[in-house]
Order: sequence, then C-alpha cells, then structure tokens
Amino acid sequence: MQRTTHRPRLLARPGLVALAAAVALTASACAKSEDDASKDTKSPAAAGAEQKVVTPKPGSKSCTVDAYGGEKLDLKGATVGFSQSEKEANPFRIAETQSIKDEAKKRGVKLLTANAQSQFSKQISDVQDLLAKGADLLVIAPLNSDGWDPVLQAAAAKKVPIVTIDRKINATACKDYVSFIASDFVEQGRRAADQMIEATGGKGEVAILLGAAGNNVTTERTKGFKERVAEKAPDLKVVFEQTGDFAREKGQQVTEQLIQSKPGIKGIYAENDEMGLGAVAALKGAGKKAGDIKIVTVDGTRNAVQGIVDGWISGVIESNPRFGPLAFQTLDTFTKGEAVPQDIIIQDGAYSTDNAKSEIGKAY
Amino acid sequence: MTVTKTEAPVTTASNQPHGEGEPAGSARSERLSALIQQHGALAVLVIVSLVASFSFDSFATGDNVSNMATSSAFLAIVALGMTFVIITGGIDLSVGSLFALGGVLAAWGSRYGTLVALLLPLAVCGLIGVVNGLLVARSRLAPFIVTLAAMLGARGLLLAVTDEGAETFLIGKGSLLAELGQGTTLGLGNPVWITLALFVAGAVVLRRTRFGQHVYAVGGNEDAAALMGAPVARTKILVYTLSGLLAGLAGALNAAWLASGVTILGNGMELEAISAVVIGGTLLTGGLGYVSGSLVGVLLLKVIQNVINQIGSLDSSYQQVVSGAFLAVVVIAQTWLGRRRQLM
Repeated sequence: MQRTTHRPRLLARPGLVALAAAVALTASACAKSEDDASKDTKSPAAAGAEQKVVTPKPGSKSCTVDAYGGEKLDLKGATVGFSQSEKEANPFRIAETQSIKDEAKKRGVKLLTANAQSQFSKQISDVQDLLAKGADLLVIAPLNSDGWDPVLQAAAAKKVPIVTIDRKINATACKDYVSFIASDFVEQGRRAADQMIEATGGKGEVAILLGAAGNNVTTERTKGFKERVAEKAPDLKVVFEQTGDFAREKGQQVTEQLIQSKPGIKGIYAENDEMGLGAVAALKGAGKKAGDIKIVTVDGTRNAVQGIVDGWISGVIESNPRFGPLAFQTLDTFTKGEAVPQDIIIQDGAYSTDNAKSEIGKAY
Repeated sequence: MTVTKTEAPVTTASNQPHGEGEPAGSARSERLSALIQQHGALAVLVIVSLVASFSFDSFATGDNVSNMATSSAFLAIVALGMTFVIITGGIDLSVGSLFALGGVLAAWGSRYGTLVALLLPLAVCGLIGVVNGLLVARSRLAPFIVTLAAMLGARGLLLAVTDEGAETFLIGKGSLLAELGQGTTLGLGNPVWITLALFVAGAVVLRRTRFGQHVYAVGGNEDAAALMGAPVARTKILVYTLSGLLAGLAGALNAAWLASGVTILGNGMELEAISAVVIGGTLLTGGLGYVSGSLVGVLLLKVIQNVINQIGSLDSSYQQVVSGAFLAVVVIAQTWLGRRRQLM
C-alpha cells in the first residue's frame, strides 16, 4: 500500500533521529561548568609551589581515628578514591587532579578516580561507585555543599574516612567527614578588596562577577570582599552583582551587559580567573583599552597572571589547587592514629604588577 | 517534532496499540525486526552486565546493584513520563528543570509536613505540564519550543525561590519524607519500589486503557486518530501533564533522598531521559514505544557509567562517548528496521 507516499517520510526520519543523537551527544556541552577550555596552559602541577598550611589557630579542633570510629591502616597498601566535581577543562581543575594523581604515584597508593562533569547526581553515584569498588579512603572535591546524605551514610557504614578539598560539605567534621582542606575564601575576598582599593584609589563604582551558586566558595569570596570594602573604602560602591558561574563565556556575557548598563564602572571583581578573562574579552570587544577598567580576580592561573603583565588585570589572588601532598599527608597521619586538624587552611600567594613577571612560573 | 509523522506498522494506526503484543505481520523477518526493536536494549543490557560481572569483582555485589538501582530510580520516573510524550510524537524538554524545581519545592515544603512536601511540587510541576499541553494541543505550537520555554521558565522560578540558587532548603533528618527517600525495604531503596510500581501502572495504562490506545493513535497518525474519534487534544494535554507530574515527583523523591533541595540538579536531564527512551525502542517520531524499554534504557545508561567507574582509571568523558555511541547505534538500527518493514 501507498509505498510511494511513505518513502519520502522515511527519508525524513534518519535526519530527525540524527538530530536527536547530535543533541544528546552535545549534552555535555550544555552542562554548566567552569569549562572554557584553556588547554594552552598545560603547566605541570608539580612545577608550581606546594601548598603550605597556615599555622592552625589556637583552639582549632582536631580529629583522630578513634574519635571518628574508623580503623588504622597503612596508606601504602590502601586504595584511595578521588571524586572530582568539574571537567578538567579549566586550569584549576587540571592542576588539582594532576596533583592528586602525582602524589598517589609518588606514594605508591592505588588511586581510583571519577569525574562528575558538573552533574551533581553523577557525583553522588560516582562516590558510591568508588565505595563499592573498594576505596578505603576518599578524597572529594564537592560540586555542591549540600545533598551528601546518601554518600555520608554509605561511607559511615563502611567506616571510610573522607577528606574534602576546595569546597566544603555541610555536615559534621570528625563524624561525617574527617577534614576539610582549603583556602580561606573570606580572606581571599578581603585581599581582592585590598587590591581593588589600591587599583581604583578607593573611589567609584565596582561590579562583582559572582561564582556558581550553592557552594561556600562563592558566598565567602563575596563576603570577604564586601566586608573589607565597607571597612576600608566606603566611597567604593558595589553597584552590580551577577553570577558568571565560574565560566569564561558567562563572565564575558555578564560583562557585556555590565558595560551597557553601567558605563561608569571603574572596577570588576571576578571571583575566579576564568570569569575575569571573560571580562577582559568583553572589554576588548567593546573597544576599551588595557587598564581603563580595573580587574581583580582569584585563582592564579597562568593566563590571568599573563593578563597582569599585559596590563589588563590589576591583581590576582592565588587559590592554590595543588591539594595532592596535603590531602595524602592528612590521610597518612590520620590512618596512623594521630590527630589531624578538622579545618586545614592553606596559605595563598598573590600576584600584582610588582611580581607578575618574575613569579609567573608559579602560576598554573 | 510532530511534522514528520512516520507510522510504524502502517495499517493499524489507531485500533491496535503496537505495544508489547504480537506484531501484525506473520513474516518471520518482520517478527525478528520487531523483536530487536523491542528487546534489543534488554539484550545489550544483559550482555554488558554479564561481561561486567565477570570482569569486575565489585560489579555484581549487593551494594553496587542497590546503589545503581536507587540512583537510576529518579531518571527512570522522568523517562516514564517522557515515554508517553514521545509516543504521541512530541517531546518534553522541561523535565530537567521541573525535576530541580520539584526537589527545591519539596525541601521548602517539608517544614509544613510530608504531605505539603509531596503535593506542592506535584501541583506546581503538574500545572506547568498542563500549560505545556494546552499550548501544544490547543495553540498547535511546536512541542520543542513550548517545552524549551517551560524549561527556562521553571529554572527561573527555581532561582527566584532560592535567592539565585544561594539558599538550599534542607529536609529534617528522621522525618517521614527523609525516610521515604533514604529508607530501604527488602534491601532496595524505597525510591526503587516506588519507581517499579509507577512503571507497572504506566505499562497497564498504556496497554490496557482507552487513554493508552489514544496515545499510540495520536502518535501513529494524528489525522486518522481524529477521524476515528480519538480526543487528540485531550490526549496531548494529558501526556504533558503526566510528564510534568512525574518530573516533579522524581525531583521530590530525589530531594528526600539527598535530604536537601539541591539547586544545581537537572541540567541536561531531559536529554538523558530522551536518550533512555529512544534506546529503549520507542520511536522518536511517535506511534511505537514501550514503557519497559525506557526502564531498560535508563539502566543501560547507568550500567555504562558504573562500568567506566569500575575501570577506575578511565577518563569519565568516555562515558558520554559510549552513551552517545549507543544512542547512535540504536537510532540507526531503528531506522534500518523501520525501512525493512516498510519494504516488506
């Protein structure tokens, strides 16, 4: 029956299904992430400065295997599971994962890795998979601070110690997890404010490109910046705040809107380098010259430090991503039965016009 | 998406649902084609699972299976609704946002008790589904655009409720809602049992009710269905409503499981659901499809992810490559099988 009429329709079908396949294949590209590829900066993580711990404040709590309820073991023969939150497409994540891998290799520890590709539900099942696969210890770089109940319960049932790095899990230290290793993000915000005050002379209107929502990094970098500005330079006004999701293209988009709606803006505080580089691209596109609008960012990637050398960026506060040595050191100390601090705060450097040229080798 | 209406077996666009029953023709190769179409994904799932069980000690363990089942449950519920929509020849891109919105609303509502926590997301997401359905059926707008708009709108609503995503509502530990999401019955998580019950109900509705017949009829040939007296518009409104309700429910259950209304969920989930449905043997062009296939499709995607994590050292980007390749193979096979059937 009506074959002739059906043939053309059939021909239409492969086109349609191919479209669906293409859409599904690009699904990854749609996911929000800090993923503006800047793979030209393939600096080996090991080459940069190792993380140093800020002297623990007096009264800061510690955690031991006995208090946590786990068992002592020898890190050498153990299996460590590492769950990365975002694609290794941005320099921070590349350096972070590489540092974990390098340290595991150096210590001869078996390492299992998983990457959640910025999908939180994937990160939950990733960690469960790592547990099922027999990880004795976990290092987690959380995508989101809340929503970890299923993982924490599963880890507790197996008495697997967890160390979280760079972002925090909202749970009880030394009960749900052992330690949290990260920078002092509030302090990063304060130091960024100092640089902004210096660059702008402490007067005028500034904008903030916020990081992704739902994690402590964004809130704390914002808090520190605003506090310090209010305290030291009341004439500097934050007139614009919008999220750039820690991504370069989003930072660019938001900056394009910003210079339309607030042409008198004097400075932009980007809560990571990628958004800051996006802002630079937007300013270039709008015909601005280097230094017209002062940009201060946080992270310390090579491209951003190069931005200082080129005059587009005024200052970069470092956020050291080389967590490997410290994370494994913490696990080693802990599994030997000794006490480790619950909050391990690392020391970060800073880049400005004074040292950008000489210290670019430390950037990642 | 509704423009290219292909009719699976042509003769019986409306009076016989091409569900899990016998295929119309009696020719052996036709039966084989139908068999591959319907059970191909299941065969692949079984093979991959068997190979994985022999290759990895930690694959076929109680823990691992139970984890996979629980974390598949939420996508499966979304895919169930998507199956109905796709069989009518439509598409629903709003489900990922509705899933996230449902979770946030459930977590927010949990302070007023479990009933509110479940009914609020159902009401809001169901309503958005109704609007989708009305725009597609009454205003005759393309489902792709209508549900794309709903996807953006629902995400915006979520941001409005959560102070731009900065506020995460928590669900109290030990509450009935948390128990619903985190508790287990007979070794499997409660969400798994709820999902299985929904799929049984979905299969019965699709195969044994008038509404189910109308769903196939509308997707098979809309004009013919209308001529035969099937309520085309009502059927479409109902499937989009169902899809919205199920996405909201899945989000609420997921929030109960995570004990919080995580704001960054659901990105790209609509595409995962569509992939699962298509891999499960449902034609993207409508008129032919299986609820059970979608469940298999979801499990297959989950098993692929698990196997890649089992390998441990493999970059997880490969998961997307493998999932994409599976999808491509399935659609090519479907097209080929469909063409063969046409030529017979």
